[in-house]
Amino acid sequence: MLRYIAIRTLWIFIVLISFLSILFITIRLVPEYPPTEEDARAIYYARQVSDGYMTSYVEDDPATVQAIIDGSYERCDGCAYLQNGDIFRVYVPVPIIQQYTAWLTNIITEWDWGVSTRVSVNTPVFDIFKSRLPVTIRINFLSLLVFMPVGFILGILAALKKNKLTDNIISLGVMIFISVPNFVVMLFMVMIFGYGLGWLPTQFPPPDVQGLVRYTSLVLPVLGLSFGAIAGLTRLTRAELTEVLTSDFLLLARTKGLTRRQAVIRHALRNSMVPLVPSIIFAFVTLLSGSVIIERIYSIPGMGRVYLDALTPQNFDYNLILALSAFYTFISLFAVLLVDLSYGIVDPRIRMGARK
Amino acid sequence: MADKDKNKNLGPENFEFVQRDEKIYDKRFETKPIGYFKDAMIRFRKNRTNVIATIILLFLILMGIFVPIVTTKNYEELEIQLQNLPPRVPILENFGILDGTEHLEAQTADLNNYDEELGLYYPEGYNPDLIVEGTLRNNEIFCTDKTETCIGGQVVVGLNRDHSLLTFNKNTTVTFDEAQNPVLTVDIFSLESDDPNAVMNVNIVYNFGSEVATIGQITEAGVYTFDIFDELDATSPVYGNLQFELLAEERSNTSVAFTNVKMDDDSSTEPIFDDSGLDLTAVASPGYVLGVANQGTVLRSQGIMTQTSFKYKIYEQVFGEREVPVFSAQDFDQLMIDNADVCTLPEDMNNIEGWEFEEGCPVKKVIAQTEPTQGPDGNFYFSYHLILDYAKYRGYDDIPYFFFGTNGGGKDFFALVWLGLRTSLFIGLIVALINISIGIVYGAIEGYYGGTVDLLMERFGEIVGRIPFLVWLGLFVIWLGPGLLTLVVLLTVTGWLGVASTTRTQFYRYKGREYVLASRTMGAKDSRLIFRHILPNGIGTIITASILMIPGVIFAESTISYLGFGIGHGQSFKLLGLFELSGVSIGVLLADGRTALVERPYLTAFPALIISILMITFNMFGNALRDAFNPSLRGSE
Repeated sequence: MLRYIAIRTLWIFIVLISFLSILFITIRLVPEYPPTEEDARAIYYARQVSDGYMTSYVEDDPATVQAIIDGSYERCDGCAYLQNGDIFRVYVPVPIIQQYTAWLTNIITEWDWGVSTRVSVNTPVFDIFKSRLPVTIRINFLSLLVFMPVGFILGILAALKKNKLTDNIISLGVMIFISVPNFVVMLFMVMIFGYGLGWLPTQFPPPDVQGLVRYTSLVLPVLGLSFGAIAGLTRLTRAELTEVLTSDFLLLARTKGLTRRQAVIRHALRNSMVPLVPSIIFAFVTLLSGSVIIERIYSIPGMGRVYLDALTPQNFDYNLILALSAFYTFISLFAVLLVDLSYGIVDPRIRMGARK
Repeated sequence: MADKDKNKNLGPENFEFVQRDEKIYDKRFETKPIGYFKDAMIRFRKNRTNVIATIILLFLILMGIFVPIVTTKNYEELEIQLQNLPPRVPILENFGILDGTEHLEAQTADLNNYDEELGLYYPEGYNPDLIVEGTLRNNEIFCTDKTETCIGGQVVVGLNRDHSLLTFNKNTTVTFDEAQNPVLTVDIFSLESDDPNAVMNVNIVYNFGSEVATIGQITEAGVYTFDIFDELDATSPVYGNLQFELLAEERSNTSVAFTNVKMDDDSSTEPIFDDSGLDLTAVASPGYVLGVANQGTVLRSQGIMTQTSFKYKIYEQVFGEREVPVFSAQDFDQLMIDNADVCTLPEDMNNIEGWEFEEGCPVKKVIAQTEPTQGPDGNFYFSYHLILDYAKYRGYDDIPYFFFGTNGGGKDFFALVWLGLRTSLFIGLIVALINISIGIVYGAIEGYYGGTVDLLMERFGEIVGRIPFLVWLGLFVIWLGPGLLTLVVLLTVTGWLGVASTTRTQFYRYKGREYVLASRTMGAKDSRLIFRHILPNGIGTIITASILMIPGVIFAESTISYLGFGIGHGQSFKLLGLFELSGVSIGVLLADGRTALVERPYLTAFPALIISILMITFNMFGNALRDAFNPSLRGSE
């Protein structure tokens, strides 16, 4: 078992690092977007040199300096020329493969993901990440707490009352919420409960706000995230439970003399759980990326917001994109491992890492 | 019940054999044979809800195709005059919903336009006749603007921190005549200072500014009355200026709030001057100014402003008569030619007084025309000043109905929404086709060859599928920039996986069948086996499972475009030289509407509603189709 987990974890890192490497090299091949402000740019390039991505030299030959100013000088590809009085400090990128090793070394040895270039100039990317993570995690966990019980209960209800009024109403609701994009649901809710009725804040308040708003402002984003997930879980629970309810072993359980309630709770639910647990773990991953658009609509200063900010066209913040991509990819890959392990826990018939 | 009871006691004598002596195997079937598709159709029709959903879906698709073609309204060009019109729908307007009126709030009241009957002020800049009856309300708010609409309150003169003296002067010269007993009344609301000795002198500056006499001192709030000639020792009449001189230590946060300054004398019952509110600032003329600008600040406080809120018939405003000061003669001539049957030109075209047109002509009246001037090309140009009947001018017989209103560019939003739907559907269809093609080929190879090939290709698909959507988004936006290509690539990069796995399953199912083996023994190549023998058997399942991909793609497309990484306004794409795809999709429209969520919720509500209905009906249709073709899958959604 441990061996299995170890191998899977190793695989996660191999996939993660390969993909990040592709992303890293892609980024180094497209135009870069250093900080726009001059001082910040100087600091940024100095750091590039100390991190091992560039080398620098001083150009003090008056003729060359003049040529650079005129624009007649042929600048090298990807180089930066910073004027400093009469001289130029020239930053030349090292070959990509060296940059790549430097980058890997920085991450592995110092956990250094570089600095932000546009979103929050010269702030270490990991600090931005740390400051944005809590609010996103809070909203996502609250959604998890909301959607799991609600989805289960609705799904069980629908399965037990199959083809009755309750089931039809629940199925209709499921159809609606699974079809409508979550940002449309969110927009409608903000319009109705935020602007129309005025019950809830229309935007996420700044972090230093005290009082009730801190809690009421969580309602809309959590609901906006939950609806789709509830619909998905309800549908799956209903389908699984319906199947189990018609199976032979349940009939046997009833024949033994168990009441319907006992049969459902002890036999049917546990068996229908097998595909549900993985779906919940995947749903959490979906929530995490789904929260990007919710954060955008509700102005929540979370991870998704900062990711989109970093991804503003012609204003890219590559280090931030890399770090956040690493995070999202890791979560996604890790969820798969969790799912595979969960099969063994939920259904003891499945053995992890067993030879076929 | 009765029938049931009757049938209870049936004995063998009640039964007889249908065909004891006949042979029927050479008899023709009297019923028609039911084929695969007919069978599916029967199953499809059984589910009433799904049939309704399919009809709605078809209706939406037809609307998407035809509305942008047949609409007479403009949805392509900017038309600023028609911007932000609210929705107006016939029939519904009679019930007061979607009636083309706009609810306006916090509009400045026009203080010169007071309705005695209602006891209310009318808003400034709006036609009172077009306000929906009974919707006009007035309310008062505090204001600090230096404008005429802000009435009363105080004017606060504050001493700057690095100054110890400040003068505040009345701009006009006043005649002080001793015989008329001039009396100055100054109402000070407050005088605040950290300096206990802060004082404000009231001065008269006379003799062309050369002499200054202090007529009184103010140290705290209150109403002060100064008999001017008690302190002013000069020969009457004196021509002088009123001056307030504030003295306090530096950094003492000194400020004086004036409520009113007025002067009376015996010559009339009216005061000579009576200044309050805006009169005490430099904006009024004549007003009050600081002696030296950086000595201090002059602010208003606690003024009262009247605001109005009302429902406004904006359509009648926009499409009513409109005065156009400059209307080029060329356009005018063209207009006359186009409307020759309803517009008769007067005989004397050079009548300076202008002329009027009959009812029905887009031009109501020509007020004046300019002198012709020679342009650089040698021709003469001139323009008219005229009044247009705007509805007629725009080619409408009556005030038009914009069902979903118009957007910020004056484009008909109804047509735009359907156009957006069409674009979304097109992209959905194209991407689904690409995904299905890739998926079938990939899945076919996986399923057919199996073994190591299958294993490797499965792992590859797994890795592609495990990378979160957001990360792909980042990669392709960096690589390709936002646009149609990014959109299509993003939707394809993981989209084919589902089709591939369905195809793979189907191939595993069929590749071992006898007919495949038979074909192979006869020397059929792999490609023939794949495409002629195995694929046609599985294709029904694959296609019906893939129909559900289209709403998924539309979903993703709207999300990406909403975030601004997909297509956008002003773009258009030629596809195979046949279709022209506009850059407007539902996601783009929703992204536009986001900036005006409060003022114009309809710009968000309509596209959101349409895409919701589309998604719901498409999913229902897809499920119904799948259930009909593969009844074994029914319920496992």
